[in-house]
Amino acid sequence: MNDVIIAILRSGTPLVYVTLAGVIAQRAGVWNLGLEGLMIIGACATILGIMLTQSYAAAIVIAIAMCVIASVLSWFVIEKLKANPIIAGLGLTGLGIGGTALAVESIFGSQATVTAPFGAPKLGAAFGAYGVLSIFVAAMPFVVFALWLLLKRSRFGLQLSASGEHPFAARGVGIQPVRMRLIALSIGGILCAIGGAELATGSLQFFAQGMTAGRGFMAFAAVIFGAAHPIGATAAALFFAIAGALGIRAQLMFGDKVPHDLLQALPYLATVFGVWLSGKLGGAKTAGSFGELKDQ
Amino acid sequence: MSIHSPPALACRDVTVRYGDVTALSDVSVAFEPGLIHAVVGQNGAGKTTFARVASGLVQPTNGAVEIAGQVIRTGHVRESRAAGVELVHQSFALPPSFTVAEAMEFGAPGRGRLYSRKGLAEKWRAHLAGLDIQVDFSKRIRDLPVETQQSIEIARALITDARVLILDEPTAVLSPVGIEMLFARVRRLKQRGVTVILILHKIREVLGIADTITVLRGGRRVEGPVLAADISADHLATLIVGDAVKGHKPGDRDALVGNGGAHADVPSGHQRYASLAPALVLSAVSTVPDSEGAPLDKVSLSIRPGEIVGIAGVEGNGQKTLVRAIADLAGLSAGTIALGGEDITRKSLAARRAAGLRIIPFERNIEGLSLTSSLWENWSARELLQGPLLRLVNPARIRALCDGSLKKWGVHYHTSSQRAGSLSGGNAQKVILAREIDDDAKLIIAAQPTRGLDIGATAFVWESLRAARDKGAAILLISSDLDELFDISDRVVVMLSGRVAGAFAAPYDIQSVGAAMTGAGAAATGTQR
Amino acid sequence: MKDRAIAILRSLIFVSFSLILCAVVFQFAGYNAPQMLTAVVDGAFLRPGAVEQSLRWALPLFITAVGVGISFRAGFFNIGAQGQFYVGAIAAAFAAEALRGGPAFIVIPLIFLAGMTGGALWALWPGLLKLRSGTDEVITTLMGNFLAGLLLVYVTSGPLKDPSGSGQQASSRPLDAAYRISNSLGLSPTIIGIAIVVGILMWLLVNRTSFGVLASLAGRNGTMVRWQGAKLWQLGLSSFVISGALAGLAGTIEFMGPNGRIASGFLPTHGFTAILIALVANLSVVGTAAAAIFFGGLASAALYLPIMAGLPAAAIDIINAAIALFITARSNLVEKFLRLGRRSS
Repeated sequence: MNDVIIAILRSGTPLVYVTLAGVIAQRAGVWNLGLEGLMIIGACATILGIMLTQSYAAAIVIAIAMCVIASVLSWFVIEKLKANPIIAGLGLTGLGIGGTALAVESIFGSQATVTAPFGAPKLGAAFGAYGVLSIFVAAMPFVVFALWLLLKRSRFGLQLSASGEHPFAARGVGIQPVRMRLIALSIGGILCAIGGAELATGSLQFFAQGMTAGRGFMAFAAVIFGAAHPIGATAAALFFAIAGALGIRAQLMFGDKVPHDLLQALPYLATVFGVWLSGKLGGAKTAGSFGELKDQ
Repeated sequence: MSIHSPPALACRDVTVRYGDVTALSDVSVAFEPGLIHAVVGQNGAGKTTFARVASGLVQPTNGAVEIAGQVIRTGHVRESRAAGVELVHQSFALPPSFTVAEAMEFGAPGRGRLYSRKGLAEKWRAHLAGLDIQVDFSKRIRDLPVETQQSIEIARALITDARVLILDEPTAVLSPVGIEMLFARVRRLKQRGVTVILILHKIREVLGIADTITVLRGGRRVEGPVLAADISADHLATLIVGDAVKGHKPGDRDALVGNGGAHADVPSGHQRYASLAPALVLSAVSTVPDSEGAPLDKVSLSIRPGEIVGIAGVEGNGQKTLVRAIADLAGLSAGTIALGGEDITRKSLAARRAAGLRIIPFERNIEGLSLTSSLWENWSARELLQGPLLRLVNPARIRALCDGSLKKWGVHYHTSSQRAGSLSGGNAQKVILAREIDDDAKLIIAAQPTRGLDIGATAFVWESLRAARDKGAAILLISSDLDELFDISDRVVVMLSGRVAGAFAAPYDIQSVGAAMTGAGAAATGTQR
Repeated sequence: MKDRAIAILRSLIFVSFSLILCAVVFQFAGYNAPQMLTAVVDGAFLRPGAVEQSLRWALPLFITAVGVGISFRAGFFNIGAQGQFYVGAIAAAFAAEALRGGPAFIVIPLIFLAGMTGGALWALWPGLLKLRSGTDEVITTLMGNFLAGLLLVYVTSGPLKDPSGSGQQASSRPLDAAYRISNSLGLSPTIIGIAIVVGILMWLLVNRTSFGVLASLAGRNGTMVRWQGAKLWQLGLSSFVISGALAGLAGTIEFMGPNGRIASGFLPTHGFTAILIALVANLSVVGTAAAAIFFGGLASAALYLPIMAGLPAAAIDIINAAIALFITARSNLVEKFLRLGRRSS
């Protein structure tokens, strides 16, 4: 049983961090499809940072810096150049995947994976079987709680939501929605960096080209399925992780007889169901319409 | 008036330009503290821009704003709010998904502490109680009636102990009774020492509440602030209107500035069409409830050719549903609709339009026009929809036809391929008139056809509707402006909660129509829908 | 037309801007940027046979991109071209499997029909969800891409698996040579002919029919068209279906032409590139043709770079991504620049 839980936490934790980044952006009114790109930048920068500085703390700082810079770039393009957030987000994802591949190739030749000498600090023997998990796993519930406080129980959270839902109302009381989105995307950058770091160094200690493999989009799906509520979206992300872990386990036990692909499809199907439901219930905002000005 | 205390709010040489448009030009004005000031003018006079400059929402091109003698940085809402100026917007500005308590909290100054839901409600209970607002704190803004939304918005504006409260067109959405209650609230605020600036455009309301009056026209200050007692309604009307409606009927002029009483010139429907079958008959029409407004409840209505029937009512009482039902955009649960004697209950909108239905919809810029599309596309939509979708068309020919039609309607434009959004409100409405008023029109629905238009354009729309009526079209006019309804309608029907609550014929009595709008005896509570 | 000139100039400016940004990135990553860009241009258009290679990639991209343009015009942000492309190819592969041995003149049209139907169906469900219950099509079509990707993995390692296939990538059995519409170089009169016919038909549809005018109106403001009496679901659903069918057609072409089989994860950026093409072209059909040749060139350069110039293919992904980042920017700098010194209307 323990190993299942460990497997779920290992695959779920990176997803949760990135999902939280998506939640905060969503509440501020940005559909962040750049999560995948930010996550892979975080993963790559952590590994390269370790190899460059031999210090894990320094590597995390580098990863955070890179992700925040990339987030600010996307903010600039979306808010200042008024680009469509969907397309710009997909562009950011492409930049992340292509850029990390290019960086790895330029530094290590045509090597597909880069292995670091060590990974993230672990919890240690005091936690028994769970000691193999990284500190980010243990920190995750606290981060979720902190974000819940910030978004749902503070004035800042209300101001952020107002900026996303009704920018004119926000401006009317002196909030600058554009600035709130900068803050939201920057915090998201930090969270994505940690998510990427956990992915590359939580239980592994290498970076491979395209190693996020759609996790960023799955996180986005969790944001939508969880209605951009920090707890709901976290639950959705963990649910996706559970489905994934069970899928792998089922395949190990029963071989090809289980429709493994169906379990893999579960997050995507769940998300389609989720948006369908929220559309039915009304009040759902839409992403389309070419970045129509949401302001008066 | 005291000479010693500085004005509560003063603007010096304020000019605002948006591109080529000058919204305000060298406006200097000072408001004494502790009074109720009215700023009046027609649409497009610059009233809202003025309010937004004063509250820091709009950065003027040049000019200065002083609050209580202190020059503040313009274009900064926080600074204006810190100095004690608050603005309540014309279309309410609270996030619809917020609860009442959250709506209070999100705009409060400072960072604030972490809160619990209960704590938040407790925190604001006393504030709202102090303003006589009874409301469930866990209700969401979108679920509240407009009057309550407005009260919440005013309460939101007063959390900072505002010394100057600006209300931008607060009466536009209210019934006569609601207006009275609002004015009572404003007077109580005055007693508390708040300086209130009301942006208004109806002389009747201005004279009923204001201590001083300032008139804007074409972005300039043409008068004031003068004491309300020192100015006559007639003179005020002249100041507001300027030269815009010379040669129009006196009734129109009074209606345009909201100076109507009982009208002397009773509009006359054209008797020569009276013998014809009704153009529109609604028999006990009820609609399926949906998210877009109050459902209809056994509405019966009949309009003869050559008759203008006005629909009065506080917004949200089923007027929109009525139009949607006639346009096949709302589901009917009972009743029948006949157009020109033919039952169209089960027909599509395209078929109804083919049978002579024309609609000038409520929201000009959303339902009426596609602002980012070209004029010719907008103009041709109705025609194109009468044929099969895969019909080959020749854009050059459509453009030529469109040019002819727009010229006939006197639209000022450059080329038929320019965007509809580049036209002024009046010109945009003329494009819609050009599309919707033709010789085949049997029933023209005009829903808020003059909202946001200046006086010249408003008068043009009225004349166009009268001309269509004189040619034998039936006209259903929906308006929240009673002066407009009384001026051009042959009959007025009042809607309340999706029902017909009364029918009136000229000469109209504003008191009894107003009573019908709120429902007799139900006028006392502010949250009444 | 001044507006059109502005639109073209705007696209050119943003594409050049993206290229400059890429050059900076390349330089920063330790490459010689001028050399890199020269190699890209060389690989795309100058080396011997480059034009044929660029066209090989450009034609299927053009077909998908025209479809994307149709749904974007109608106001539906259908970003599911990749999924519709995959499902089209899968349906075509199933049809080919079922009809194996039949006469080519019957089998080939039926495979095309199957491919287009597959793509159309994969666009139909997000369309129905959107039009019936207002479900956001951005999410449903994005999820549809992942689902189609998984479906492709499933069929190529399951029902359509090539038993003799070895190596990492699961793939279907190769299509009989009799049914192929081109060799593995991927350029043939059939494919060129299909692209031209699609181009002409779609140009007519967009520019010369009521449907074109009304769909474009509906795309900019659906409410207004509804009040004019249009059945939005009719306009919307047909736009979805057309765009899906065209993506499916492109998938079928890739299957019956250059690839000759379907493989899990093949052409993973086809849909995204097609979306970019449509956006760069400002949704015009003629512009789409021009943009498709440009992006087709980039796609062919991606193959050329690592082999001939020893440079990473990721460079092309970065160029595409940078263009995506900026192409929808609505900065009015261009308009301002063009109006300089002129009286504004």
